Amino acid sequence: MTEKRPLAKPRPATSNNFGRKSRVWLNQQKQAIDFSLKRLWFNPISAWITLIAIALALSLPTSMHVLVKNLQSLTHNNQSVPTISLFLKPKVTEQQANDLAELVKSQPEVLSTTVVTRDQALQDFNKISGLADTLKTLGENPLPNIVVITPKMNDLGVTDADLEDFSKRLKTYKEVEDVQIDIEWIQRLRAILQIAERIVAVVAALLATTVLLVVGNTIRLDIENRKDEIRVTRLIGATNRYIRRPFLYGGLWLGLFGGFLSLLVVNIALLFLVDPVNKLSMLYGSDFNLGGIDLTTTLEVLTVSAGLGLVGAWLAVNRYLWESEVIND
Amino acid sequence: MTTKTIIEFRQVHKRYPTGQLALYNVNLTIHAGEMIFITGNSGAGKSTLLKLIALLENPSKGDVLIDGTPLSHLQARQIPNYRRRIGFIFQDPHLLYDRNVFDNVAMPLLISGMPATDITRRVNAALDKVGLGKKTKSYPLMLSAGERQRVGIARAVVNRPTMILADEPTGNLDPELAQDIMHTFAQFNDIGVTVLIASHDHGLVERMKKRILVLQRVEL
Repeated sequence: MTEKRPLAKPRPATSNNFGRKSRVWLNQQKQAIDFSLKRLWFNPISAWITLIAIALALSLPTSMHVLVKNLQSLTHNNQSVPTISLFLKPKVTEQQANDLAELVKSQPEVLSTTVVTRDQALQDFNKISGLADTLKTLGENPLPNIVVITPKMNDLGVTDADLEDFSKRLKTYKEVEDVQIDIEWIQRLRAILQIAERIVAVVAALLATTVLLVVGNTIRLDIENRKDEIRVTRLIGATNRYIRRPFLYGGLWLGLFGGFLSLLVVNIALLFLVDPVNKLSMLYGSDFNLGGIDLTTTLEVLTVSAGLGLVGAWLAVNRYLWESEVIND
Repeated sequence: MTTKTIIEFRQVHKRYPTGQLALYNVNLTIHAGEMIFITGNSGAGKSTLLKLIALLENPSKGDVLIDGTPLSHLQARQIPNYRRRIGFIFQDPHLLYDRNVFDNVAMPLLISGMPATDITRRVNAALDKVGLGKKTKSYPLMLSAGERQRVGIARAVVNRPTMILADEPTGNLDPELAQDIMHTFAQFNDIGVTVLIASHDHGLVERMKKRILVLQRVEL
């Protein structure tokens, strides 16, 4: 007990020093994880209130993000939203319609074409409108064959003049009676979505700050409740790092679990929307499907929320540690 | 017994921000393995002297040297490690009331990241030493004042410190218990631990037959 020891940092200069140190480090991490999870578990009310606050704050930007992403997918090339319809002259046969579709497809601006035969159109019309009886009184099918074009949005150009030009070229086919273009809305949608993306970014930044403050405040209260403990641990040789650790884990869990909860909220909201949206897209003859939260987004949300929790806790603890460098008993 | 100097005060002054002068020009030398009592009236600076050693306060003037090195040379990040060499015992033992006796005593070992099996062994040994081997699962509120004080002592010695600093450790206890606790300190001193005890209980201090340091209140 009385042998000469250095004043501080007794460091045995053994070869397995590193091993010993990493074991100590692991023990301390395990301790802090255990401890912080227990704190959450045994303070369920305050933990849940915080988690719900975080979840709500995160679910708004997350759901907006999902929405914008979904709308963007409408304007992508590979999304087969029929946007140009060629109504063919009544005399044009199905075979001719198919030939024309093949011909149009060779245009550089065209991604794909499909033919909707008059019989098919009639069936669809019956199914959707329920006016089958009325149509029957007409005796013969009044609907023409239609070639539906899905253009390559990127090659089409963006101005009205470009569209007009393309439309004129399509009209030159002798089978074509009329060209109906539904592209303007996509181009406007793109512009709107660009604005929406910015708005999402702003909202996300504001609500991220909220999460930071919520976690920071929760951890601050936790510190307040455990001041005695911190003083005692300091007195018996705890480093700042040791004192900080359980609080950082506490913040991390709040962020992470809050993130999980917000994903749950958004997924439930999407389930709620999926049916009406799919019905709507069917009415537009689109194979658009409301996409849920994919794995990338899930990981993004969890990483961001856990990170915010960690940073919030860090700020709260560091502020406290700065203020209380010297213990006054 | 070795005569190596472990603690040295060189012209130490301590004035608190409130203007109160707690220590005036203190010079003293304590050898490793000594057991010393610090007495004096309340307000004479007994607590301050111990706090200066544990770096809970800094001197306004002068130097406190441990093993020949001034504490003022210690960097902030070295302080925790230095404190692990000290077992500090308060009049109020500062236990954590939401943890049982075992967990309270285990704290210094948890801080140094000791494996769980070693912790169990060391904590049980320390609690046996202070006669609380059967109360490991009790919570502080279930214990008497004397038992709590002994938990505080167990926590102070579990890390095998080279110095024990005790500030009025028997202040709240009946004489018999006080004697008991002093005896426990003497046992630690027997195995070579330097022990400093601040106490105003002159009778008790005299009976222990150790070196006594008397602090006088400064009037300026």
